[in-house]
Amino acid sequence: MSTTTISSPGRATGGSLTFAGVLRSEWIKFRSLLSTRLLLLFTFLAVVGVGAIAAWAQASSLELFMKNGTGMGMPGTTPEPMTLEQAQEFGNFNVYAIPNAGLQIGILILGALAVLLVASEFGTGMIRSTMTAVPKRLPAFFAKAVVLVVVSYILTLVASVVTALLAIPIFKAYGIDFSFGLDGVVYSILMGGVYVAGVSLIGLSLGTLLRSSAGGIIVLVAVMFLMEIGANLLSLFPADFWNYVVQYVPSVAGGRMLEITEKTAFISPLAGALIFLGWILLFMIPAIISLKTRDI
Amino acid sequence: MIEAVNLAKHYGAKTAVGGVTFTVKPGMVTGFLGPNGAGKSTTMRMIVGLDAPSRGTVTVNGKPYAKHRDPLRQVGALLDAKAVHTSRSAYNHLLAMAATHSIPTKRVNEVIDMTGLAAVAKKKAGGFSLGMGQRLGIASALLGDPQTLILDEPVNGLDPEGVLWVRNLAKHLAAQGKTVFLSSHLMSEMALTADHLIVIGRGQIIADAPIAQILAGSQQAKVRVRTPEVTRLSQLLGSQGVQVQCEENETLEVTGLDPRQIAQVALQNQVLVYELMPLTTSLEDAYFNLTKDAVEYHSQEFNDNLPAPAAVKGL
Repeated sequence: MSTTTISSPGRATGGSLTFAGVLRSEWIKFRSLLSTRLLLLFTFLAVVGVGAIAAWAQASSLELFMKNGTGMGMPGTTPEPMTLEQAQEFGNFNVYAIPNAGLQIGILILGALAVLLVASEFGTGMIRSTMTAVPKRLPAFFAKAVVLVVVSYILTLVASVVTALLAIPIFKAYGIDFSFGLDGVVYSILMGGVYVAGVSLIGLSLGTLLRSSAGGIIVLVAVMFLMEIGANLLSLFPADFWNYVVQYVPSVAGGRMLEITEKTAFISPLAGALIFLGWILLFMIPAIISLKTRDI
Repeated sequence: MIEAVNLAKHYGAKTAVGGVTFTVKPGMVTGFLGPNGAGKSTTMRMIVGLDAPSRGTVTVNGKPYAKHRDPLRQVGALLDAKAVHTSRSAYNHLLAMAATHSIPTKRVNEVIDMTGLAAVAKKKAGGFSLGMGQRLGIASALLGDPQTLILDEPVNGLDPEGVLWVRNLAKHLAAQGKTVFLSSHLMSEMALTADHLIVIGRGQIIADAPIAQILAGSQQAKVRVRTPEVTRLSQLLGSQGVQVQCEENETLEVTGLDPRQIAQVALQNQVLVYELMPLTTSLEDAYFNLTKDAVEYHSQEFNDNLPAPAAVKGL
C-alpha cells in the first residue's frame, strides 16, 4: 500500500446536502449489508411459506365443515352441509385474508430489521459519520423511515400476491373458489404492507429511542405481541370494560385495518387504522425529540 | 476558520470543557494538544455538532456547522476511526457518505487511492486494523474536499509511512489556504506538523501561541558544566544572580548565563572546567511544564519501594 505521494485533492464537484441525497445515502447503506439482503429474502420465503401452509390448513378445514357441518364428521353425528359463508363463520376464518396469513412473521422480522437499521449505527459508531454528514439529524431519520416504509410495503405486497397465487390452486383442490375477484382480497393485499410499514416505523423509533438492538427488539416484541396477550388476559376480569381493552392494542387495532367487515361491538377498520397511527406517533415523536436533542 | 467562544460542556457535575475561547485560522496547521481526558475530543465533537455545548458557541467558516448548506464540503472530520458500520465495505461506506452531498463516485475512488485503501476498499471495514480504520476515517474526511479539516489523533495506529503521509497532507492542505486542526497528546508529533498550538488541560486553554513562541517561552537556556570544583563554581556563579543546580557528581546546570560567560567566570577564578554544553529545552519539556498541573490521570510511579534518587538542589 503505497501512500508516499499526495495527489492534489481533486475538485469535489459535489453539491449541497439535500434530502434526495440523504435518501440515496440511506438506500446505499441499506442495500450494502449482506445480512439485510439475506434477511429480506428469508422474510419473503417465510411469509409466503406460512401463508401457503395457512391456506392449505384453512381450505381443508373449510371443506370438512362444508361437508359435515358442526359435527365435523365425528362418529355418531349426522352430516349437515354448510355454505362457505357458514363454514367461515363457524371456523372464524376470513378466506379473503389468506394473502396476509404469513404477516406475523413479516411483522416480527421487518420490525426487528427496522430497530437494527438505526440501533446498529449506534452500536458500531456509524451514527457519528451519519450525523456529521447530516448535522440536522432529522433528514437522516426520515430518509431511513422512507427506505423502511417502501421496502416493507413492497416486500409484503409481493409476498401477499405470491401467497394468493399459491392459495388459488390449494383452495381449488378442496373445491373452494378463491380468486382475486373475491371481496376483500385485493383490499387485504394492498393493506397488509401498510400495516407492516407501520410496524417498521415503530421499530425505527424504538431503535432511535433506546439506541440498542436488543432493547429495541425486546420492546417491539412486547408492543406487537405481548400487549395483545396481556389484554386478552385482562378480558378475563368480570366487568364488560375489560373486553374492550384488547381492541386498542397496536396489533389488534393495526390488524383491524386489513378487514373489510364490521364486527359487532368492535371498532371499525378506519378507527383501527387511526388508533394504530396513534401508536406509531406515540413512539415516533419521542424518538424524534431524542434524536434532535441528545448528544450522539 | 473555527471560532469557539466561551465553549463549555458539562456531563452532570463533571466539566469536560470549561469555557474555552480560541480561533483556528486558515492557511496553517493548528495543533490541539493536551493530555488524555483534557477535553480535546469533546471540543471537536462540539465543533461538528455531535455534542451540544452546555454553554458558549462555536462556528466554522462563520456559521454553526449544522447551519451550512453543504457541511461535508465545509468541514471534513475524523473524530473516531471506528465511526463505520463493521459489516459494510469501505467503498460502500464512502459511497453512502458521498451520496448525501451528491459527491460523484469519481471522488470516492480518488480518496480511496489517496489514502492507500485501494486494495482493501471492497472488504468489510470491521476487519480493518487500527491503521486502516484511521485511513478510512481520513478518506471520509477528505470526501468533500473541505475548507476546514478536523482530525482527532490522526496518527494513532498508523505505521511510520502513514504518519509521514498525514503530516505532509496536513501541511499541504494548510499551504492551499485551508484550515487544518489536529489533536494529539504527543508533543513530538505536533512539533513536526503544527505551526500554531492550542494547549488544553482539564478543559481549560493553557496556551494558544505559535509553536516557536511556546518553545521559546519555556526555553530558559541552560548550560551543563562539568567541573571538579562544583561547590566553588556554583558559589561564584550564584553570586552573579543566576540559578545553579547541582545535578550529579561534578555536574552543574546553569540557567541564565551562556557558555561564554560561564567560561569567563571560570577563567577569572582559575576553576577547571572540562565540559560546557548548552542544553535546549525540547518541546516535550515545554509541554510537560505547561500541562503538569493539568493532567487528569496521573500514572503511578514504578517505585517498588526503591528509594528515590536523592536530588541535591540548589546547594
